[in-house]
Amino acid sequence: MNDDLLSVHGLGRRFGGVVAVADASFGVGRTSIVGLIGPNGAGKSTVLSMIAGSLRPTSGTISFDGRELSGTAPHTAARRGIIRTFQTPSEFARLTTLENLLAGARATRGFTVGGALLGRRWWRSDEDRLVERAIGLLRRFDMLPMANEYAGKLSSGQKRLLELMRALMAEPKLLLLDEPFAGVNPTLSRRIEGYLARLCAEDGITMLMVEHEMGAIERICHSVVVMAQGRVISRGTMAEIRGDKKVLDAYLIG
Amino acid sequence: MRVLAPAIGFGLVSGAILAIAAVGFTLQFGVTNVLNLAFGEVMITSAYIAYLADAAGWPLWALVLVAAVVGAIASFLLNALLYGPFIRRGIGLFGMLIVALAASLIAQNALQIIFGARFLTLRIPAGRSFHLLGMVFTTAQLGIIVIAAMTLLIVRVILRQTRLGKAMRATATDPALARTCGVQTDRVIGAAWAISGALCGIAGLTFVVNLGSFQSTTGGEILVPIVAAAILGGVGHPAGAVLGALTVAMASELSAAFLDPAYKGAVAFAVLILVLLWRPQGIYAEVVTQKEAVA
Amino acid sequence: MSEAWQFYISTLLVYLGVNVMACWGLNLQFGVAGLLNFAFIIFQAIGAYAAALVTLGPHDPDSYQDYIFGAHLPFPLPILAGAVAGGLLALFVGVIALRRLRSDYQAVVMLVVSLIAASIATNAVGLFNGAPGLSLIPKPLASTLDVSLVGYQWFYVGLVAVCCLIVFVITKRIQSSPFGRSLRALRDNPDAIAALGGNVGTLRIRAFVIGGAIAGASGALLAGFIGAWSPASWDYRETFVLFTAILVGGTGNMLGAALGALLVPIAFLEASRFIPSFGRPGLVEALQWVVIGGVTLLFLWFWPRGLLPERKRTYTVPEG
Repeated sequence: MNDDLLSVHGLGRRFGGVVAVADASFGVGRTSIVGLIGPNGAGKSTVLSMIAGSLRPTSGTISFDGRELSGTAPHTAARRGIIRTFQTPSEFARLTTLENLLAGARATRGFTVGGALLGRRWWRSDEDRLVERAIGLLRRFDMLPMANEYAGKLSSGQKRLLELMRALMAEPKLLLLDEPFAGVNPTLSRRIEGYLARLCAEDGITMLMVEHEMGAIERICHSVVVMAQGRVISRGTMAEIRGDKKVLDAYLIG
Repeated sequence: MRVLAPAIGFGLVSGAILAIAAVGFTLQFGVTNVLNLAFGEVMITSAYIAYLADAAGWPLWALVLVAAVVGAIASFLLNALLYGPFIRRGIGLFGMLIVALAASLIAQNALQIIFGARFLTLRIPAGRSFHLLGMVFTTAQLGIIVIAAMTLLIVRVILRQTRLGKAMRATATDPALARTCGVQTDRVIGAAWAISGALCGIAGLTFVVNLGSFQSTTGGEILVPIVAAAILGGVGHPAGAVLGALTVAMASELSAAFLDPAYKGAVAFAVLILVLLWRPQGIYAEVVTQKEAVA
Repeated sequence: MSEAWQFYISTLLVYLGVNVMACWGLNLQFGVAGLLNFAFIIFQAIGAYAAALVTLGPHDPDSYQDYIFGAHLPFPLPILAGAVAGGLLALFVGVIALRRLRSDYQAVVMLVVSLIAASIATNAVGLFNGAPGLSLIPKPLASTLDVSLVGYQWFYVGLVAVCCLIVFVITKRIQSSPFGRSLRALRDNPDAIAALGGNVGTLRIRAFVIGGAIAGASGALLAGFIGAWSPASWDYRETFVLFTAILVGGTGNMLGAALGALLVPIAFLEASRFIPSFGRPGLVEALQWVVIGGVTLLFLWFWPRGLLPERKRTYTVPEG
């Protein structure tokens, strides 16, 4: 039995008559960064959504950290440690950057109605600890000056960083990244690459990343899964798949 | 059985009226994405103006024209002066709903201030009664069914044969794509409001003729059945709206005949809430489009 | 101060307190959690009816009022009964009607719920006495307190003030807590909060039920004060007035909601009873609605955040 953190077997999803994903199988090893690539319409985002729980698979199984996962709701998947980021900006616009991070944290005292009603004295120390963690993250990502700014007012690059930090507050075991570099300027892209690589190497966070940015994939992914027209057509390191004829064909056709 | 046939007859008449209104509503909602909760008030405004024309002695066909024109102008202005500016301001769907409700409240009460709170009646006589297959219709009601049929036929021709109609259908399906294909969406939207307004006006006239008397709040009473019919039929699908209207009207009349008449309005409430909670994309849209694909 | 003035002022204060409570409840649901509760008024109405039912006593077949249940519960249980009724109805409605719908559809669903409830209250005669509503509701503690009529008025003002204080503490604690923050996150982006582990359904229902309970308590207080209650109180336009109030005052801000309650239902509607009725009967009322609608549109256009917008919550952050 492999020791993959996430493994996906025969995963499939139809929408009415359309088959978006068919018979997808791959694994994501612990503390590794796996890239999920392929031409447009290959079904990559659908796979991500199924793992994250926002879409039910119509066939196949997902197993995470040794347990069956298929068909769980997004918040349950998140509580098990699967945290996803979104392609489009999804900050909490009317909360400050710091509040966004705090909102991402796992529930502590004060997150329940009862805890809230007991008043600040009850949940203050838990909250202080969360604030400390959040400030630490803001410092690490060089976003401290924006801490008290409304998240809606941030630039799109800053919003990307915010989503990443917010996801980290949720203490993920597996980070699902949906095109983290799309539309980001090259300097910031490199910065994010650096953060992601360190998060994996130093903090031991596993990642599955859907991306079109081949440079980033090459630089930080340990292995790659290639999809085309709803199917997994190749798996391996970047060097291995680069020589794979099926992959070249897919990109020419798709 | 003695109760069934007349109930079906009532259902046909109110279904005809509802169909005109629902088609108007769905055309506008489909093209503009604005839930115009002031629709009932535009109907009643047209009825009030038609009342004035009627009091001045104008014939029925002229009243229909007056109602259509008033409805068209009122709807067009409602969009040009209120909804349009708010949309451009980026207010969001719920904000638009509040705007529509505010417009409805203002219109209802303004009508009451201007025309008073009395119930008014048009002088159109009901005419003789006809018995068909156990159903009973007055001349006026038969006239209403004819008006409905003609109006809906005209709308169908506009939508299918004219460039404007095709542009409206394109905008309803995919506004961004329509724009890139050169459809002038602003003009299409204005036309959609005007056409839907005309239907709204005609529906208002036929509604008050069938009802007998009306006042400023009468429009609000019919709003829920209209929205229910339009959403049931699939927003933006006129054929679906007609089916939806017949469904809602028949269900209301049959339940009034066999259950408690007091709950007649409740049927429309139930249909609307069930369709929104269970199948907000409507039921008839797919049925109708499949038919079109096959035919 | 003359007795007539005392009556007028104390009545206004009671109405103010009740409306402030209601606005805080609606603000929690809409301003904080983003729930489009266009049926808000039915939760206040059911609270009023519940309080009435448990003070009127068991239904007497000979009396002209026909209703279900009935008891003689002592003060302050009827107020609690109102809160419980509001909360339970909110639970029922919330579970059925709160969905992931586009926002205008969600509001329409709630509006229709409101219309259905009003229809049931008016037509179901054996339930709450149908169209005439309930009357002769005993005033709380009226028999035990040995005070004049005016004295009783001021007692009631005090009672409402205490209830307002309780609601204030509850709402304030919720809004400034991590739970409140989760609600605001839910309002801003439900998908994102779900992806972080937040249970959208549970968060929503909790906010909805608490708001409903507050509405119910406010209704109970009002029923005890007025002594009668009618199906007109279930009218959707009453919800519209409260929405206008919090839009004007400022959504997401408790002081704003209170200000809105002062300006709209109180200063505008109640205080204008003082204006001598001119023109036809119903003309003043119609003008009031035109103004309410106009004010809503004005504020949505010029000051969509209201007079007192939601405050930013800042934290002390060390320098770099």
